[in-house]
Amino acid sequence: MATRGGYHRPSTLPEALAILGEGEGIKPISGGASLVAMMNAGIVEPTALVSLEGIDGLAGLSSVDGGIRIGAFTRHRDIAETALLTGTSSVVADAARQIGNAVVRNMGTIGGAVAHADPGLDFPPALVAAGASVEIASPTGSRRVAAGAFFVDWYTTRLAPGELVIAIHLPKPEPGIGLYLKHSRVAGDFAIASVAATLARSGRVRVAIGGCGPTPIASEEADEIMSARRSKEALERAGGILSALADPIDDVRGSAEYRRMLIPRLLTQAMNDLSTRLGQ
Amino acid sequence: MTAQVGRSLPQLESEAKTSGSAKYIADLTLPRMLHGAVLQSPHAHARILGYDLREALAQPGVQAIVTGDDVQDAHRMGAFIKDEHAIAKGKVRYVGEAVAAVAAETEAIARHAARLIRVDYAELPAVLTPEAALAPGAPVIHEEFSSFFKVFDTGTDGNLCSRTSFATGDIARGWAESDRIFENHFETQPQAHLSLEPCGALADVDASGAVTLWSANQSVFRVQANVCESLGLPMARLRCLTPMIGAGFGNKMEPHVQPIVVLLALKARRPVKMILTREQDFEMVRARHPFKIRVKTGVKKDGTLVAREVDVLLDGGAFADDSPGVLGYSLLMSCGPYRIPHAHCHGRLAYTNRMRFGAMRGFGVPQVNFATESQLDEIADALGMDPLDLRRKNILREGDSWFGGQPLLSNGLAECIERVRAASDWSSPRARTAPSGKRRALGMSCAGHIGGLLSTGAIVRLLEDGTVALSTGAVDIGQGSNTVLTQMCAEALKVPASSVRINSPDTDGSPYNWGTTASRITFMTGRSVLGAAGEVERKIRQQAAEIFECAAEDIELLPGGKAALKGVPGKAVSFAEVSARAHWAFGGPIVGTHSWVFDQATVDPKRAVVVGLPFPRIGIFSFNATVVEVEVDDATGKTSVLRAWSACDVGRAINPRMVEGQIEGGFVQGMGYALVEELVWDGARLANPTLMDYKIPTFVEAPAEMHPIIVESHDPVGPYGAKSVGEIGINGVASAIANAVAAATGARIRGLPLTAERVLRATLGPGA
Amino acid sequence: MADRFATTLKINGQPQATTAALEDTLLTTLREGLGLTGAKRGCNQGVCGACTVLVDGRPMRSCLSLALGCADKDVVTIEGLSESRVTQALQKTFASTGAFQCGFCTPGMLVAATSLLMRNAAPSDGDVRKALSGQLCRCTGYFKIIEAVLAAAAELRSGRST
Repeated sequence: MATRGGYHRPSTLPEALAILGEGEGIKPISGGASLVAMMNAGIVEPTALVSLEGIDGLAGLSSVDGGIRIGAFTRHRDIAETALLTGTSSVVADAARQIGNAVVRNMGTIGGAVAHADPGLDFPPALVAAGASVEIASPTGSRRVAAGAFFVDWYTTRLAPGELVIAIHLPKPEPGIGLYLKHSRVAGDFAIASVAATLARSGRVRVAIGGCGPTPIASEEADEIMSARRSKEALERAGGILSALADPIDDVRGSAEYRRMLIPRLLTQAMNDLSTRLGQ
Repeated sequence: MTAQVGRSLPQLESEAKTSGSAKYIADLTLPRMLHGAVLQSPHAHARILGYDLREALAQPGVQAIVTGDDVQDAHRMGAFIKDEHAIAKGKVRYVGEAVAAVAAETEAIARHAARLIRVDYAELPAVLTPEAALAPGAPVIHEEFSSFFKVFDTGTDGNLCSRTSFATGDIARGWAESDRIFENHFETQPQAHLSLEPCGALADVDASGAVTLWSANQSVFRVQANVCESLGLPMARLRCLTPMIGAGFGNKMEPHVQPIVVLLALKARRPVKMILTREQDFEMVRARHPFKIRVKTGVKKDGTLVAREVDVLLDGGAFADDSPGVLGYSLLMSCGPYRIPHAHCHGRLAYTNRMRFGAMRGFGVPQVNFATESQLDEIADALGMDPLDLRRKNILREGDSWFGGQPLLSNGLAECIERVRAASDWSSPRARTAPSGKRRALGMSCAGHIGGLLSTGAIVRLLEDGTVALSTGAVDIGQGSNTVLTQMCAEALKVPASSVRINSPDTDGSPYNWGTTASRITFMTGRSVLGAAGEVERKIRQQAAEIFECAAEDIELLPGGKAALKGVPGKAVSFAEVSARAHWAFGGPIVGTHSWVFDQATVDPKRAVVVGLPFPRIGIFSFNATVVEVEVDDATGKTSVLRAWSACDVGRAINPRMVEGQIEGGFVQGMGYALVEELVWDGARLANPTLMDYKIPTFVEAPAEMHPIIVESHDPVGPYGAKSVGEIGINGVASAIANAVAAATGARIRGLPLTAERVLRATLGPGA
Repeated sequence: MADRFATTLKINGQPQATTAALEDTLLTTLREGLGLTGAKRGCNQGVCGACTVLVDGRPMRSCLSLALGCADKDVVTIEGLSESRVTQALQKTFASTGAFQCGFCTPGMLVAATSLLMRNAAPSDGDVRKALSGQLCRCTGYFKIIEAVLAAAAELRSGRST
C-alpha cells in the first residue's frame, strides 16, 4: 500500500498501528512536546503523522486490579494532580510535578516521554522506583516490559518499529511515600542528577537514579541494604553501589565526576527526607 | 499640572505591548516579500575556494543567492577596526559564520536551498584561545590587519588586535609603600545576551535602487554606517528605520544580518526579511568577552589602598567589533571607585577563530569588577577588617578624580553604601543562621560605571496646534527612553507628557544619535532634548513678546502650554496661538535643535599615561553598592540568592519605576552571569547554542526579596541632574555573590560562573 | 514544495479556514497565515514561552503544537484575550507596575497569567512564580511581573475591575 502524507487522527488503536505500519517516515505523535521540537530543529522530518489523541482508552488514569493504569496519552499535568497515585506510587506524581513547567506539563504525555527515552527525563527513574511496567502494542498484540528493562540506551527503548506505548502499569502501591528529588541548574531544566525513591511503612525501599547514565540506575542490592536499615553507613554503602553502576557523561549541566559525587549525597538527602516525613 | 520629571509615568508603548499589537521586526511584512536564510560555516578557519550554487538556484521559489563574491574586498566595516565584510569573503574565521544567504518565497524553501549550496573550503589551522593565537608562529586570522582602518592604532600585529595601558603615579613606589601585597588570578566566561527577540532585518529596494531597511537595532545610525561601509553604498541611498525592539543588551548595537539582508534585497529586487533562529542568534552574532585577569593590590595594614596592577587578556573572537573599546573601558574601571595613588592597568586583545565577542551590558566592567571586588574581600579578611569598612575607607569622594584624572562632579557612592548597609542589617562576620543542610551569608561589592560617549542631537518642533513633536534618533530598546525623553521635553516646556509626540528613529529625519548603549540616552540625549526645548522656549517667548509688545525676558511659560506676561494675570497666549502666528505670519514655524558630542576629557595627561584609550572623552560616572544574602546547599553546592539590596547613584531618577526596572533587571542578568550562564565550546563549535542547554534565571530563581534603592546625587551637568542606570546595576552582582559564597562556605572561587559543581568542589577542598 | 492541507481552526472564537503543511506549527499559522502576530517566536523549542496561547482553555506552546493537530480545538491568543476581564485587569497592572520593558515576552506572559488567575483567584507570591516559571523574561528580573499579577488578582477580587 502506498504511504500517505498528512496528519491522521485514528479513533482506534488498530487503525493507528495500521497507518504506522505503512512506512518508515510515518511517526506517531503524542503530546508533541518532544517531536515537534525536533521537527522545528530539522532533526526529524516525518512524511506523515499519526496522532494518538482521541484514541479510545489511551488517555487517563484508572484503578485496575488494585494497581494503577496510566494511559499513554495522559498529560503530565493530570498525573501531577491525580488522587490515584497514593502511597509508594506517589513517586510518579512527584516526578510529574517537576517536569519542565506548568505549560509544558499541559502538553507532554507520559507515553511520549517514555518512548523518547531521553535520559534527562524525570519519568524513567520514577517508573523504575515504582516498579512500573510499560505496555506495548503492535499489530499482532500487546506485551508488557518492566520499566527497568524497557529503557535500553540513549533515546533507545524496547519498542520495535511500528510499535506503540499504550499504557504504564503500576503495581498495587504499598502504604508509605514516594519522593522525586531533582537537582537542576534552574527550574525547568533537565536534571543534573535525580533520585526517585519510595519508602513503604514496611520499611521496604526502592530507589532509582536519573540523569547519570543512558538509563535509570537501580540496584536490588542497594535497595536491600536500605530496606534493612537507613543508617548513615547503610546509605553510604548503597550510594556507593549506585555510584559505581552509574555511567554519567560530561555535559554543559555538569561533569561525569560531579554526577558520581552527587549520587550518595542526593540519596542521603532523599532518604532522610522520606524517613522524616514517614516518621520512621 | 504635576511635574513630569520624577514621575513614574507608565511606558508610552504600554497599550501596544500589552495588547500584542506592537510590531517587532518579525511581525513586519511587505507585499511580494521574500524570506532569507543563511548558510553557516562548518569550519573555524578555512579559505573559501569557490561556491557551487547551481543546485540551490534550481530550487523552485529561490530568487537570489549571495556570497562573498557579491561584495568587494575593500568594503569593510567595524566599530574600531574595519576588519569585517558583509558576509565571509575569501576566508571563514569561525564555525557558524555566515558564508552564503538565500532569498526565497518561503522560509522553508530558503533554508532548504541554503543547505544545497556547496562551498569548497581549504581548511586552515585554527586558534581557539588567546594564548594560542598570540603564540609565535600562530596562524594569522587577518592577514591584511596592518592595512585596516583603525580608530586608534596601538601598533599591534599578528593576532594581537589591540592593547591598552593606563598608568598613574609610580607603581614601583606603590609596592614599596605597601605593607602587604595580594596577587590573584581570575577568569570569567562568555555570556549570551539572550534578548527574547532574536536578531532580524527587512530590506526593501525601490525603483531607483535606494534601500529602506528595518531591523532589530540599538542604533539606526550604526546600521546605516555598517551597511553602507560593507556594501559600498552612499549613505544617501540607505534609509534605516526602527520597529519595536525586543531588547538588545549590546547584541544589536553593531551589525548582525542587516548587510546580508540588504545584499539579498538588492540582488532579488524584492523585499527580503530574515529572522535568525535562536540557535543562530547564539552562534553568529556576538557575546560577552571572556576575560583572564591578574590583579595585584598593595595595601597598608590599616587597609588604605596604595597600589594596583591589573593585567587582562581578552578573547575578541574573529572580528574586532567593539572589543578594543571593551578592553579600554575595563581597564579604565579596574581601580574601581577607590583612591589608589599608584596604578598600572594594562591588557591585550587577541583575535581567535571563535564568534566575535562584543558589547554586552557592563562592557568589560562586570568582568574586572568580579576580580577586583573579590580580591578586596580577601584583603579585608586578611586584615581582619569588615569588607564594607575597607570599601568605605577607600572610596572616592566628591571632588576626587577617577583613575586617569577626570573629576567627579557628583558622587553618591557613600550614600549607596550606607543605604545597603542599613537595609540589609549588614554586619561582619557575614555568615547567617541557615536551616540544616544549608549555609547562608551576606556578601557585598561596590562598582562604578562610565556612561555617555560620542554624539547625539534633538529636534523639537511646535506643531500647528501647539502640541510638540520630538525627534532624537534614540532607539528605545525597552528601557523606556521614549518615555523618559518625553517627560524631560514636557517638563522643559511645562506641557503634559501627552502633548509631546516622540518619533521613531529614522536616518532620513532623525538627528544623529550614536546609539542606545553605554548607558547614555538619558544623559546625552536628555541634554539635547533640553537644549532643543530651550531654543523652542526662547522662540515662543519671542513670539509672545511681539504679541504683547514687550521684552522677551518679560514672558514666562505657564503650565499647560501657555506663554504669559509676567505678573499680569490674563495676559497669556496658548502655544497654539503662538504657533499659528509663527506658521502663517511672522518668524516661521518654531523649531529648536541641539547637537553635541561628549566633552569631558577622560584622561588628564598630567596625571596619567594612556595608550590605547578608545576615546579621549567618554562619559560621566554612576555608582553602586550591592549586598546579597545567599544560601548554599551542602549536598549539591547549588547557590540561591535569597535577598538582594542594590543602591545606585543615578544622579536623578527621571522615571523612578523605570530606574528600578533597570536595577532589578540588571541584578537578575548579573545573577545569571554569576551562577549559571556560560557559553561552552566543544572544540571549535559552540556546544550549547539552544535554550535547552543555555539557561538563564527563571521566576523561581529570582530572589524572594529585591530592594532597588535609588540614590540621587544631582549631577550639575546632567539633565535635571540625571546620570545613568542601564549598566551600573549589573557590574557588581557577580562579585557580591562570590563574596557571599566565600563567606558562607569558606571557599574562594576565582572563576565564573559559580556553578553548583564548582561550589561543591571548592567547599570540599583540594582533591574533591 | 511541501503538500499543504486545508483545515479550519477555531481562533478567538471564530472559525478560520487556512492551509498548513504537516510541519507548520500553530505559531507559524497564527503569525503568517492569519496575521495574528501577538504570539512570538523566541526559540521555537518550547522553552522561552513567548509563543504561549490558550488551547481548550489551557496555556500551551503554540510553537510545539502542529496546526493540523489543532483542528477541533479552541485557540485563544492575546488578541482574543483582550476581551477578557481578567486579562484587562492584568494589562492595567502590567502597565502601571512596569511589568514589561521590551515587551517581547509580554503576550505569552499575559496568557499564562490570565490562565493562573482564572484557576486561582488568590495566588501567593510562590504560586505566581511556579505558574509562570515557564515564561522567560530577560529585561525585568521578574519582580514587577509578580507584583502586577498579585495586584491584578487583588483588583479582580475586590470587584473594582469592570
